[in-house]
Amino acid sequence: MFKQLFLTLFAGMLLAMTSVAIAGASPTDSIRGSVDSILALLQDKEMDKTIRREKIGEVISERFDFRAMSQRTLATNWKSASKEQQQEFVQLFSKLIENTYIGRVEAYTDEKVDYPGEKVKGKKAVVETLILTASADIPVNYKVYKKNDKWWVYDVIIEGISLISNYRSSYQEIVKKEGFDGLIAKMKAKIKELENQPQPA
Amino acid sequence: MKKFFILLVALGVPVIGICGSTPAYTENITAENGSNFLILAAADSDADSKETIVAEDDFTDDELLFLDEDEEFLDVYDPLEPINRGIFWFNDKLYFYLLKPVAKGYRWVMPEPLMLGIGNFFSNLASPMRMINAGLQGKFGDAGNELTRFAVNTTIGIGGFFDTAKDHFNLKKKDEDSGQTLGYYGIGPGPYLVLPFFGPSSFRDGVGLLADSRMDLTYYLWEDRDYWAAIALRTVNTVALDKDTYEGIKRDALDPYLFIRDAWTQYRKNLVDN
Repeated sequence: MFKQLFLTLFAGMLLAMTSVAIAGASPTDSIRGSVDSILALLQDKEMDKTIRREKIGEVISERFDFRAMSQRTLATNWKSASKEQQQEFVQLFSKLIENTYIGRVEAYTDEKVDYPGEKVKGKKAVVETLILTASADIPVNYKVYKKNDKWWVYDVIIEGISLISNYRSSYQEIVKKEGFDGLIAKMKAKIKELENQPQPA
Repeated sequence: MKKFFILLVALGVPVIGICGSTPAYTENITAENGSNFLILAAADSDADSKETIVAEDDFTDDELLFLDEDEEFLDVYDPLEPINRGIFWFNDKLYFYLLKPVAKGYRWVMPEPLMLGIGNFFSNLASPMRMINAGLQGKFGDAGNELTRFAVNTTIGIGGFFDTAKDHFNLKKKDEDSGQTLGYYGIGPGPYLVLPFFGPSSFRDGVGLLADSRMDLTYYLWEDRDYWAAIALRTVNTVALDKDTYEGIKRDALDPYLFIRDAWTQYRKNLVDN
Protein backbone atom coordinates (compact mmCIF):
# COMPACT_ATOMS: atom_id res chain seq x y z
CA MET A 1 0.00 0.00 0.00
CA PHE A 2 2.68 2.41 1.09
CA LYS A 3 4.91 1.24 -1.70
CA GLN A 4 2.19 1.82 -4.27
CA LEU A 5 1.59 5.34 -3.03
CA PHE A 6 5.28 6.03 -3.16
CA LEU A 7 5.52 4.73 -6.70
CA THR A 8 2.58 6.83 -7.81
CA LEU A 9 4.11 9.90 -6.24
CA PHE A 10 7.44 9.14 -7.82
CA ALA A 11 5.88 8.62 -11.25
CA GLY A 12 3.93 11.84 -10.86
CA MET A 13 7.08 13.70 -9.91
CA LEU A 14 8.93 12.31 -12.93
CA LEU A 15 6.11 13.35 -15.20
CA ALA A 16 6.07 16.85 -13.75
CA MET A 17 9.81 17.09 -14.18
CA THR A 18 9.72 16.04 -17.82
CA SER A 19 7.05 18.56 -18.69
CA VAL A 20 9.03 21.27 -16.94
CA ALA A 21 12.07 20.21 -18.90
CA ILE A 22 10.16 20.45 -22.18
CA ALA A 23 8.62 23.80 -21.30
CA GLY A 24 12.00 25.00 -20.17
CA ALA A 25 13.89 24.26 -23.39
CA SER A 26 15.50 27.58 -24.16
CA PRO A 27 15.21 29.15 -27.61
CA THR A 28 18.91 28.55 -28.18
CA ASP A 29 18.64 24.87 -27.22
CA SER A 30 15.78 24.48 -29.66
CA ILE A 31 17.65 26.08 -32.54
CA ARG A 32 20.85 24.25 -31.67
CA GLY A 33 18.96 20.95 -31.72
CA SER A 34 17.61 21.59 -35.21
CA VAL A 35 20.86 23.01 -36.59
CA ASP A 36 22.84 20.06 -35.20
CA SER A 37 20.43 17.55 -36.75
CA ILE A 38 20.71 19.29 -40.11
CA LEU A 39 24.51 19.45 -39.94
CA ALA A 40 24.65 15.77 -39.00
CA LEU A 41 22.51 14.92 -42.03
CA LEU A 42 24.65 17.09 -44.29
CA GLN A 43 27.88 15.51 -43.05
CA ASP A 44 26.63 12.00 -43.67
CA LYS A 45 28.24 11.56 -47.08
CA GLU A 46 26.85 8.05 -47.55
CA MET A 47 23.26 9.17 -47.57
CA ASP A 48 21.31 9.42 -50.82
CA LYS A 49 20.77 13.06 -51.77
CA THR A 50 17.03 12.86 -52.22
CA ILE A 51 16.56 11.08 -48.89
CA ARG A 52 18.85 13.59 -47.20
CA ARG A 53 16.85 16.53 -48.53
CA GLU A 54 13.66 14.86 -47.38
CA LYS A 55 15.03 14.32 -43.88
CA ILE A 56 16.32 17.87 -43.67
CA GLY A 57 12.89 19.00 -44.82
CA GLU A 58 11.33 17.10 -41.91
CA VAL A 59 13.65 18.74 -39.39
CA ILE A 60 12.85 22.16 -40.85
CA SER A 61 9.10 21.69 -40.85
CA GLU A 62 9.34 20.72 -37.17
CA ARG A 63 10.97 24.04 -36.40
CA PHE A 64 9.81 26.57 -39.00
CA ASP A 65 6.27 27.89 -38.74
CA PHE A 66 5.52 28.22 -42.44
CA ARG A 67 2.01 29.47 -41.85
CA ALA A 68 3.17 32.41 -39.72
CA MET A 69 5.88 33.09 -42.30
CA SER A 70 3.37 33.01 -45.14
CA GLN A 71 0.99 35.36 -43.40
CA ARG A 72 3.73 37.85 -42.67
CA THR A 73 5.08 37.63 -46.19
CA LEU A 74 1.76 38.28 -47.86
CA ALA A 75 0.61 40.92 -45.34
CA THR A 76 -2.51 42.59 -46.81
CA ASN A 77 -2.64 40.08 -49.64
CA TRP A 78 -3.08 37.30 -47.08
CA LYS A 79 -6.31 38.83 -45.89
CA SER A 80 -7.76 39.25 -49.34
CA ALA A 81 -6.84 35.72 -50.42
CA SER A 82 -9.35 32.89 -50.11
CA LYS A 83 -8.71 30.02 -47.71
CA GLU A 84 -7.78 27.74 -50.60
CA GLN A 85 -5.36 30.32 -51.96
CA GLN A 86 -3.80 30.73 -48.52
CA GLN A 87 -3.42 27.00 -48.14
CA GLU A 88 -1.84 26.68 -51.55
CA PHE A 89 0.50 29.56 -50.82
CA VAL A 90 1.67 28.03 -47.52
CA GLN A 91 2.50 24.77 -49.28
CA LEU A 92 4.39 26.38 -52.15
CA PHE A 93 6.11 28.91 -49.92
CA SER A 94 7.32 26.27 -47.47
CA LYS A 95 8.86 24.35 -50.36
CA LEU A 96 10.67 27.44 -51.61
CA ILE A 97 11.91 28.47 -48.15
CA GLU A 98 13.11 24.94 -47.50
CA ASN A 99 14.99 24.92 -50.76
CA THR A 100 16.60 28.29 -50.19
CA TYR A 101 17.56 27.41 -46.64
CA ILE A 102 18.97 23.99 -47.52
CA GLY A 103 20.78 25.44 -50.51
CA ARG A 104 22.51 27.97 -48.27
CA VAL A 105 23.42 25.59 -45.43
CA GLU A 106 24.75 23.01 -47.90
CA ALA A 107 27.45 25.50 -48.88
CA TYR A 108 28.58 25.67 -45.26
CA THR A 109 28.59 21.98 -44.32
CA ASP A 110 32.06 21.92 -42.85
CA GLU A 111 31.92 25.18 -40.92
CA LYS A 112 31.50 25.60 -37.20
CA VAL A 113 28.41 27.26 -35.75
CA ASP A 114 28.64 29.45 -32.66
CA TYR A 115 25.78 30.55 -30.41
CA PRO A 116 26.80 33.93 -28.99
CA GLY A 117 23.49 34.64 -27.27
CA GLU A 118 19.73 35.02 -27.24
CA LYS A 119 17.26 37.75 -26.41
CA VAL A 120 13.92 36.69 -24.97
CA LYS A 121 11.00 39.09 -24.82
CA GLY A 122 7.86 37.42 -23.55
CA LYS A 123 6.69 34.88 -26.12
CA LYS A 124 9.22 36.07 -28.68
CA ALA A 125 12.97 35.58 -28.84
CA VAL A 126 15.93 36.11 -31.12
CA VAL A 127 18.59 33.38 -31.21
CA GLU A 128 21.94 34.57 -32.48
CA THR A 129 24.16 32.17 -34.38
CA LEU A 130 27.46 32.74 -36.10
CA ILE A 131 28.74 30.61 -38.97
CA LEU A 132 32.52 30.67 -38.75
CA THR A 133 34.08 30.44 -42.20
CA ALA A 134 37.71 30.85 -43.19
CA SER A 135 37.26 34.30 -44.66
CA ALA A 136 34.45 35.77 -42.53
CA ASP A 137 31.97 35.11 -39.73
CA ILE A 138 28.40 35.18 -40.98
CA PRO A 139 25.73 36.17 -38.45
CA VAL A 140 22.49 34.22 -38.85
CA ASN A 141 19.76 35.13 -36.39
CA TYR A 142 16.55 33.17 -35.89
CA LYS A 143 13.38 34.90 -34.75
CA VAL A 144 11.26 32.47 -32.79
CA TYR A 145 7.97 32.55 -30.89
CA LYS A 146 6.48 30.19 -28.38
CA LYS A 147 3.49 28.07 -29.35
CA ASN A 148 2.38 25.02 -27.39
CA ASP A 149 5.56 25.16 -25.30
CA LYS A 150 7.71 24.94 -28.37
CA TRP A 151 9.80 27.59 -30.05
CA TRP A 152 8.93 28.11 -33.70
CA VAL A 153 11.01 30.04 -36.22
CA TYR A 154 9.11 32.83 -37.98
CA ASP A 155 12.02 34.67 -39.60
CA VAL A 156 15.69 34.12 -40.41
CA ILE A 157 18.02 37.12 -40.53
CA ILE A 158 21.27 36.67 -42.42
CA GLU A 159 23.77 39.53 -42.19
CA GLY A 160 20.99 41.88 -41.16
CA ILE A 161 18.79 40.77 -44.05
CA SER A 162 15.42 39.44 -42.94
CA LEU A 163 14.24 36.69 -45.26
CA ILE A 164 10.60 37.47 -44.62
CA SER A 165 11.04 41.19 -45.15
CA ASN A 166 12.76 40.38 -48.41
CA TYR A 167 10.09 38.00 -49.64
CA ARG A 168 7.41 40.39 -48.49
CA SER A 169 8.74 43.24 -50.56
CA SER A 170 9.39 41.11 -53.66
CA TYR A 171 6.11 39.18 -53.50
CA GLN A 172 4.03 42.30 -52.97
CA GLU A 173 5.51 43.75 -56.11
CA ILE A 174 4.78 40.59 -58.08
CA VAL A 175 1.17 40.57 -56.83
CA LYS A 176 0.82 44.23 -57.77
CA LYS A 177 2.00 43.58 -61.32
CA GLU A 178 0.66 40.11 -62.01
CA GLY A 179 -2.01 39.46 -59.41
CA PHE A 180 -2.19 36.72 -56.80
CA ASP A 181 -2.65 34.01 -59.43
CA GLY A 182 0.40 35.32 -61.22
CA LEU A 183 2.44 34.92 -58.05
CA ILE A 184 1.18 31.37 -57.49
CA ALA A 185 1.99 30.49 -61.11
CA LYS A 186 5.51 31.89 -60.72
CA MET A 187 6.05 29.89 -57.52
CA LYS A 188 4.86 26.68 -59.16
CA ALA A 189 7.14 27.24 -62.13
CA LYS A 190 10.10 27.89 -59.83
CA ILE A 191 9.48 24.74 -57.79
CA LYS A 192 9.23 22.66 -60.96
CA GLU A 193 12.47 24.19 -62.18
CA LEU A 194 14.19 23.40 -58.87
CA GLU A 195 12.95 19.82 -58.88
CA ASN A 196 14.10 19.12 -62.42
CA GLN A 197 17.47 20.67 -61.92
CA PRO A 198 20.28 18.51 -60.58
CA GLN A 199 21.22 19.59 -57.06
CA PRO A 200 24.49 21.49 -56.88
CA ALA A 201 27.29 19.42 -55.44
CA MET B 1 26.01 37.14 -48.82
CA LYS B 2 28.36 39.72 -47.44
CA LYS B 3 31.19 38.51 -49.60
CA PHE B 4 28.94 38.88 -52.57
CA PHE B 5 28.12 42.45 -51.68
CA ILE B 6 31.72 43.22 -50.94
CA LEU B 7 32.51 41.90 -54.36
CA LEU B 8 29.90 44.10 -55.93
CA VAL B 9 31.07 47.23 -54.19
CA ALA B 10 34.67 46.18 -53.90
CA LEU B 11 35.87 49.11 -55.92
CA GLY B 12 35.33 52.80 -56.19
CA VAL B 13 33.60 54.26 -59.21
CA PRO B 14 33.04 57.84 -60.26
CA VAL B 15 29.35 58.45 -59.92
CA ILE B 16 27.85 61.58 -61.33
CA GLY B 17 24.78 62.22 -59.32
CA ILE B 18 23.38 64.22 -56.53
CA CYS B 19 22.68 62.48 -53.31
CA GLY B 20 18.96 62.33 -52.89
CA SER B 21 17.54 62.87 -49.46
CA THR B 22 14.43 60.88 -50.28
CA PRO B 23 14.17 57.95 -47.91
CA ALA B 24 14.40 54.72 -49.85
CA TYR B 25 12.58 52.92 -47.14
CA THR B 26 9.59 53.83 -45.11
CA GLU B 27 8.38 52.39 -41.92
CA ASN B 28 5.35 50.34 -42.59
CA ILE B 29 4.13 48.51 -39.57
CA THR B 30 1.04 46.71 -40.62
CA ALA B 31 -1.53 45.64 -38.17
CA GLU B 32 -4.34 44.11 -40.11
CA ASN B 33 -7.49 42.89 -38.54
CA GLY B 34 -8.32 39.64 -40.18
CA SER B 35 -11.17 37.37 -39.39
CA ASN B 36 -10.66 34.47 -37.07
CA PHE B 37 -10.11 31.19 -38.72
CA LEU B 38 -7.74 28.30 -38.74
CA ILE B 39 -6.67 28.21 -42.28
CA LEU B 40 -5.42 24.70 -42.65
CA ALA B 41 -8.06 23.18 -40.46
CA ALA B 42 -10.17 23.07 -43.59
CA ALA B 43 -11.29 19.53 -44.30
CA ASP B 44 -8.76 18.02 -46.61
CA SER B 45 -8.68 14.26 -46.76
CA ASP B 46 -5.33 13.89 -48.50
CA ALA B 47 -3.52 16.22 -46.20
CA ASP B 48 0.20 15.82 -46.55
CA SER B 49 2.77 15.96 -43.79
CA LYS B 50 3.15 19.76 -44.03
CA GLU B 51 -0.30 20.28 -42.64
CA THR B 52 0.37 18.37 -39.48
CA ILE B 53 2.27 21.42 -38.25
CA VAL B 54 -1.04 23.16 -37.74
CA ALA B 55 -2.42 21.99 -34.47
CA GLU B 56 -5.92 22.64 -33.20
CA ASP B 57 -4.82 25.12 -30.61
CA ASP B 58 -2.89 27.13 -33.17
CA PHE B 59 -2.67 30.87 -33.05
CA THR B 60 -5.26 32.55 -35.20
CA ASP B 61 -4.29 35.20 -37.71
CA ASP B 62 -5.08 38.02 -35.31
CA GLU B 63 -3.10 36.46 -32.53
CA LEU B 64 -0.10 36.17 -34.79
CA LEU B 65 -0.04 39.92 -35.28
CA PHE B 66 2.13 40.27 -32.18
CA LEU B 67 4.96 38.97 -34.35
CA ASP B 68 4.80 42.18 -36.37
CA GLU B 69 5.18 44.44 -33.34
CA ASP B 70 8.41 46.46 -33.36
CA GLU B 71 9.04 45.32 -36.91
CA GLU B 72 10.06 47.50 -39.79
CA PHE B 73 9.32 46.42 -43.29
CA LEU B 74 11.07 47.85 -46.28
CA ASP B 75 9.50 49.73 -49.10
CA VAL B 76 12.31 50.36 -51.55
CA TYR B 77 12.32 53.53 -53.63
CA ASP B 78 13.24 52.44 -57.15
CA PRO B 79 12.05 54.95 -59.75
CA LEU B 80 14.83 53.94 -62.14
CA GLU B 81 13.78 50.30 -62.23
CA PRO B 82 13.71 49.90 -66.04
CA ILE B 83 17.26 51.25 -66.39
CA ASN B 84 18.42 49.35 -63.31
CA ARG B 85 17.05 46.11 -64.71
CA GLY B 86 18.97 46.73 -67.93
CA ILE B 87 22.23 47.23 -66.06
CA PHE B 88 21.42 44.25 -63.84
CA TRP B 89 21.09 42.12 -66.98
CA PHE B 90 24.44 43.42 -68.23
CA ASN B 91 26.17 42.65 -64.92
CA ASP B 92 24.61 39.19 -64.90
CA LYS B 93 26.11 38.39 -68.31
CA LEU B 94 29.41 39.89 -67.28
CA TYR B 95 29.45 37.65 -64.22
CA PHE B 96 28.59 34.39 -65.98
CA TYR B 97 30.57 34.87 -69.18
CA LEU B 98 33.68 36.66 -67.97
CA LEU B 99 34.16 36.91 -64.22
CA LYS B 100 33.04 33.42 -63.22
CA PRO B 101 35.07 31.47 -65.80
CA VAL B 102 38.19 33.48 -64.90
CA ALA B 103 37.56 32.94 -61.19
CA LYS B 104 37.12 29.19 -61.76
CA GLY B 105 40.48 28.91 -63.50
CA TYR B 106 42.04 31.06 -60.80
CA ARG B 107 40.62 28.85 -58.06
CA TRP B 108 41.93 25.80 -59.84
CA VAL B 109 45.55 27.01 -59.78
CA MET B 110 45.53 28.91 -56.48
CA PRO B 111 45.75 27.19 -53.09
CA GLU B 112 43.08 28.48 -50.71
CA PRO B 113 45.49 29.88 -48.06
CA LEU B 114 47.03 32.04 -50.77
CA MET B 115 43.61 33.32 -51.82
CA LEU B 116 42.74 34.11 -48.20
CA GLY B 117 46.08 35.92 -47.88
CA ILE B 118 45.38 38.04 -50.96
CA GLY B 119 41.94 38.85 -49.60
CA ASN B 120 43.51 39.92 -46.30
CA PHE B 121 46.10 41.97 -48.13
CA PHE B 122 43.52 44.08 -49.97
CA SER B 123 41.35 44.32 -46.90
CA ASN B 124 44.33 45.70 -44.99
CA LEU B 125 44.92 48.35 -47.66
CA ALA B 126 41.34 49.50 -47.10
CA SER B 127 41.97 49.81 -43.36
CA PRO B 128 42.54 53.62 -43.44
CA MET B 129 39.16 53.97 -45.15
CA ARG B 130 37.42 52.11 -42.31
CA MET B 131 39.41 54.06 -39.71
CA ILE B 132 38.54 57.48 -41.17
CA ASN B 133 34.86 56.62 -41.48
CA ALA B 134 34.64 55.21 -37.97
CA GLY B 135 36.24 58.45 -36.75
CA LEU B 136 33.88 60.64 -38.79
CA GLN B 137 30.97 58.89 -37.10
CA GLY B 138 32.45 59.57 -33.67
CA LYS B 139 33.24 55.89 -33.10
CA PHE B 140 36.72 56.56 -31.78
CA GLY B 141 37.04 53.15 -30.18
CA ASP B 142 36.43 51.48 -33.54
CA ALA B 143 38.81 53.91 -35.23
CA GLY B 144 41.50 53.01 -32.69
CA ASN B 145 40.77 49.35 -33.19
CA GLU B 146 41.25 49.76 -36.93
CA LEU B 147 44.50 51.68 -36.42
CA THR B 148 45.84 48.89 -34.20
CA ARG B 149 44.71 46.28 -36.70
CA PHE B 150 46.49 48.12 -39.50
CA ALA B 151 49.71 48.45 -37.49
CA VAL B 152 49.67 44.81 -36.38
CA ASN B 153 48.70 43.29 -39.72
CA THR B 154 51.07 45.42 -41.77
CA THR B 155 54.04 44.43 -39.59
CA ILE B 156 53.52 41.06 -37.89
CA GLY B 157 50.96 40.08 -40.53
CA ILE B 158 53.60 40.62 -43.25
CA GLY B 159 52.14 43.46 -45.24
CA GLY B 160 48.57 42.50 -44.38
CA PHE B 161 48.79 39.02 -45.81
CA PHE B 162 47.73 37.56 -42.47
CA ASP B 163 44.96 38.87 -40.25
CA THR B 164 47.13 38.50 -37.16
CA ALA B 165 45.09 41.12 -35.31
CA LYS B 166 42.01 38.93 -35.55
CA ASP B 167 43.68 35.54 -35.17
CA HIS B 168 45.92 36.34 -32.22
CA PHE B 169 44.64 39.53 -30.60
CA ASN B 170 40.91 39.08 -31.23
CA LEU B 171 40.67 42.48 -32.88
CA LYS B 172 37.96 42.01 -35.46
CA LYS B 173 37.33 44.08 -38.54
CA LYS B 174 34.21 46.22 -38.46
CA ASP B 175 32.87 47.34 -41.82
CA GLU B 176 32.66 51.07 -42.22
CA ASP B 177 32.49 53.15 -45.37
CA SER B 178 31.59 56.62 -46.58
CA GLY B 179 28.03 55.63 -47.48
CA GLN B 180 27.49 54.66 -43.84
CA THR B 181 29.05 57.93 -42.69
CA LEU B 182 26.66 59.91 -44.89
CA GLY B 183 23.82 57.80 -43.51
CA TYR B 184 25.01 58.50 -39.99
CA TYR B 185 24.53 62.22 -40.65
CA GLY B 186 20.96 61.63 -41.72
CA ILE B 187 21.35 61.45 -45.48
CA GLY B 188 18.95 58.89 -46.91
CA PRO B 189 20.03 56.43 -49.60
CA GLY B 190 18.02 58.10 -52.34
CA PRO B 191 16.89 56.08 -55.34
CA TYR B 192 18.18 52.55 -55.67
CA LEU B 193 20.86 52.27 -58.30
CA VAL B 194 22.48 49.37 -60.12
CA LEU B 195 25.94 50.37 -61.30
CA PRO B 196 27.56 48.71 -64.29
CA PHE B 197 30.40 46.43 -63.06
CA PHE B 198 29.83 47.38 -59.41
CA GLY B 199 26.32 46.10 -58.81
CA PRO B 200 23.67 47.22 -56.33
CA SER B 201 24.03 50.67 -54.80
CA SER B 202 22.13 53.87 -54.20
CA PHE B 203 22.77 57.52 -55.00
CA ARG B 204 24.24 58.00 -51.56
CA ASP B 205 26.33 54.85 -51.54
CA GLY B 206 27.54 55.52 -55.07
CA VAL B 207 29.02 58.82 -53.92
CA GLY B 208 30.37 56.99 -50.89
CA LEU B 209 32.05 54.45 -53.14
CA LEU B 210 33.97 57.18 -54.94
CA ALA B 211 35.14 58.65 -51.64
CA ASP B 212 36.08 55.19 -50.35
CA SER B 213 38.31 54.49 -53.32
CA ARG B 214 40.31 57.62 -52.48
CA MET B 215 40.84 56.50 -48.88
CA ASP B 216 41.99 53.06 -49.97
CA LEU B 217 45.75 52.64 -50.21
CA THR B 218 45.31 50.54 -53.35
CA TYR B 219 44.65 53.85 -55.14
CA TYR B 220 48.03 55.26 -54.09
CA LEU B 221 50.15 52.17 -54.56
CA TRP B 222 49.49 51.69 -58.25
CA GLU B 223 48.71 53.87 -61.20
CA ASP B 224 46.57 53.57 -64.31
CA ARG B 225 46.73 50.07 -65.75
CA ASP B 226 48.43 48.61 -62.71
CA TYR B 227 45.70 49.99 -60.49
CA TRP B 228 42.97 48.37 -62.54
CA ALA B 229 44.94 45.13 -62.67
CA ALA B 230 45.07 45.19 -58.86
CA ILE B 231 41.33 45.87 -58.73
CA ALA B 232 40.72 42.99 -61.16
CA LEU B 233 42.81 40.65 -59.02
CA ARG B 234 40.92 41.69 -55.90
CA THR B 235 37.59 41.07 -57.63
CA VAL B 236 38.54 37.69 -59.10
CA ASN B 237 39.96 36.64 -55.73
CA THR B 238 36.71 37.56 -53.98
CA VAL B 239 34.60 35.65 -56.51
CA ALA B 240 36.90 32.62 -56.27
CA LEU B 241 36.47 32.52 -52.49
CA ASP B 242 32.70 33.01 -52.65
CA LYS B 243 30.49 29.94 -52.38
CA ASP B 244 28.28 30.69 -55.35
CA THR B 245 26.07 33.15 -53.49
CA TYR B 246 24.83 34.76 -56.67
CA GLU B 247 24.12 31.41 -58.30
CA GLY B 248 22.08 30.48 -55.23
CA ILE B 249 20.00 33.64 -55.48
CA LYS B 250 19.51 33.16 -59.20
CA ARG B 251 18.34 29.62 -58.61
CA ASP B 252 15.99 30.26 -55.69
CA ALA B 253 14.45 33.69 -56.16
CA LEU B 254 11.28 34.25 -58.17
CA ASP B 255 12.75 37.52 -59.36
CA PRO B 256 16.50 37.82 -58.66
CA TYR B 257 16.48 41.55 -59.41
CA LEU B 258 13.91 42.22 -56.70
CA PHE B 259 15.56 39.81 -54.27
CA ILE B 260 18.96 41.46 -54.56
CA ARG B 261 17.51 44.97 -54.51
CA ASP B 262 15.59 44.32 -51.30
CA ALA B 263 18.41 42.38 -49.66
CA TRP B 264 20.90 45.10 -50.52
CA THR B 265 18.66 47.86 -49.16
CA GLN B 266 18.14 45.97 -45.90
CA TYR B 267 21.83 45.16 -45.64
CA ARG B 268 22.84 48.81 -46.03
CA LYS B 269 20.15 50.08 -43.68
CA ASN B 270 21.28 47.62 -41.05
CA LEU B 271 24.89 48.77 -41.40
CA VAL B 272 23.90 52.44 -41.10
CA ASP B 273 21.71 51.77 -38.06
CA ASN B 274 24.58 50.10 -36.23
